[in-house]
Parts: sequence; structure tokens; C-alpha cells
Amino acid sequence: MNLRRHLLEAATLLAVAVVVALVSNSLASRERKLKLPGDYPNATTVPESQAARDSSAPSQAGSPASPPATVGQGIARLPSKGESPSQTAAPAPNGTAGGAAASSPSKKTPGGVAPAPPSPSPAAVVAPAAATGDLLSRFPPHPDRPYVEISGEDAARLHAAGVPFLDARRTSAWGEGHVAGARPVSVWESDVDEKVMALIGELDGPKPLVVYCSGGDCEDSHLLAQKLWGAGFNGVLVYRDGFPDWVKRGGAVRSGTNP
Amino acid sequence: MTSLRRWLGSEWLTTRVQIALGLLFIAAALPKVADPPSFAHMIYNYRLLPGGLVNLSALVLPWFELLCGVALVLGIWSRTSAALVGLLLAVFVAAIGVKLARGDAHDRGCFDVRDAGESVAERLHDMRMVVLRDAGMLAMVAQVLFGAKYHRTPSREHGV
Repeated sequence: MNLRRHLLEAATLLAVAVVVALVSNSLASRERKLKLPGDYPNATTVPESQAARDSSAPSQAGSPASPPATVGQGIARLPSKGESPSQTAAPAPNGTAGGAAASSPSKKTPGGVAPAPPSPSPAAVVAPAAATGDLLSRFPPHPDRPYVEISGEDAARLHAAGVPFLDARRTSAWGEGHVAGARPVSVWESDVDEKVMALIGELDGPKPLVVYCSGGDCEDSHLLAQKLWGAGFNGVLVYRDGFPDWVKRGGAVRSGTNP
Repeated sequence: MTSLRRWLGSEWLTTRVQIALGLLFIAAALPKVADPPSFAHMIYNYRLLPGGLVNLSALVLPWFELLCGVALVLGIWSRTSAALVGLLLAVFVAAIGVKLARGDAHDRGCFDVRDAGESVAERLHDMRMVVLRDAGMLAMVAQVLFGAKYHRTPSREHGV
């Protein structure tokens, strides 16, 4: 009898919590609202930390990479270092862009998949760019994988060439300081899908697009890249070291509500 | 031994521990209630819940913590609230324990850039400290439940 009463009290507390939580979420501002249900690929997959990747990188040199990561709902298996992209490539989710980039002769390595070894990034192994056109040609579309990781040096060059930047951190963090011109598209806020949809009409899917977050073990940029890839963006480049590296390099920074 | 039991079960101690536990839970819940996306991010980093449940948990758990905390402070349904708080703490300890067992210190770099500079050993140390803190709070729960049982009267049952 006592147990029944305690269970009833517990159920009441839980029910009240659920109702209050749902009401407060429906009334919350755009930045504080959560989408129900959540959509996070690989939510139960434990990633290798940046530190572990850094420490294991030298021993991996010259040897086959670890088994490729699977990247969640509707996303293709990623090719490993020694594997041809055509072996694992799947059509882009919306059928845009063919496999031309995957078989492009200019692509010297299929590396740079998620998570990529710290060096060399695929961008770093190709010849230095001289002009904007050359620079952009170094980052061909990659319909077979959600993103390619790039270094801070490449991010700076792409920024100078006018490539769009997206900030995957929380909008509040973006407001405190962001790469000049970068737009806030936080994967943790409820309007992320709307923002991605808005980008479809605005940006060219196969063209390069740089996303970044806080670097290190932060995965927000990778999560956003996967969302963008799912929406048909085949040129997403993840700035691996993110905003802290950008600041360290003395890159142009803006704060406030304007990109 | 009997005097220790009497002291541990005393109403004076139980009331204070109950209020302290409630206040701790309220304090822990408020930042999460204020910013559910950050808490969702934190839950996601534990890599234990399926993606579809991350946001729902991030919304409901803080309110549940808050209600349990308020109930403890006010002395309403205090035994049930203490037991629920104990259950929540056990879940938190288990989640951190799983992370520690995995040696997974992958966390936090997205919230606070300063934390991103911490080494894996430092992060694992921090997680062990959190387990210790939660174990201390579990001891408080045990005291409240013991006190309620030891000094059970109809008025206390209903927190009056």
C-alpha cells in the first residue's frame, strides 16, 4: 500500500515535470528551444578524442587507417584512407551532384574523412593555391562523404577568397565573437533545420562551405556538416581547430548580432 | 552505537540534510532549466542515449530535479522525493562510471574553450571528483530516508 502511494507520488512528480518542460519549451525563445524528437546521428557512438587522435597519428602513418566511421541516418559509410571512394560512396541523399568529384584525378587522396587524422589534411597535401579559382578547385565537391577537414591555413585562404563560413556553436557564443562574415547555425537550437533549408536557396550545394566550432573535441561543426550533407551540400569543409585557432592566428573577428 | 543511530535518525539532522539536499538539487537544476540546449549537448556527450531521446531528457530531467528539490525543501512527499533524488544520483554516477570505464574524457570543449585545454588525465580526474560529490549526496539521501524511517510519524509522513 505504501509502495503504491510512493509510486503514485513519483508518477505525479514526473508527469508534472513533463508537462512543465513541454510548456516551457513551447514558450522558449528560438535559441533556448529544443526540437522534439532530437536528431543526432551517432548519439551512442563514442568518438576518439582529439588528444587520442593526435597521439595515435604518428603510429598510423603509412599503415591502413582504422575501420571507417559510420555516420548515422541516411549517411553513407565513409571510405578509409587506403580505400577508393568509389568502393564506399553512396549517392548524396537528395541525389544532387554525381560522383565526379570522387573519381576526380585531381583528388590525390580520399583521406580527410570523419574523423580525419590531424595531418596531413587533404587540403594540405595538394599544391598551394595562387588564385581564388585555383584555391577553390583544390576543394572539389565530395558527394561520397559529409565533409573534409581543413587546417587553419586553408580556412584563412578560403575566408579571404570569400567562401561562406558557418558557425556551429551556440548563437550566444557566436554573438560574443565569430569569424568575420560567419553566420550562426547552431546544431543545438531548434531552428537549425530552417536555417539549413534557407541556405539551400542561397548557396550552391557543390561549392565549398566552411563550418567551424570550438575545435578540440568539439563536434558541433561535424554534426552540422552531416546535416548540410544530408541537405545536398557536397562541398562542406570542417575547420578542424575552429574558432580558438582562428583567434590565435589573428583572423578577422566580429562580435554582436551582425555577421 | 545506539546514540549514533539516534543522532543519525534525529529530526533535527534529517530536516537540515533534507533542506540542504533540496537546495543542492534546485541549484543544479536551474542552469539546465535556463538553457536546455546546453544540457542536451552534455547528455549527448555521454553517448548513452539514442539521439531521439536526447532532447526530451534535456527538457524533462531538469524540471524533475527542480520539483524533487522543491519537494525536499518544503517537506512535501519527502520520502518519495529523497528516493527519486537517490535514483537520479545513481543514474548520474552510473553514466559517469561508464564514461570512466571507457576512458572517455571527450567532453565540454564546446561549452567552455578554457576546458578544451585540459588534458585527458585532468578531465578524468574531474569526473572522478564528480562521482565522489554524487556519492556524498547519495549519503545525504540515505540519511534522509533513514531519518524518515527512524522518526516516522503521520505528521512527518506528510511533511507538516
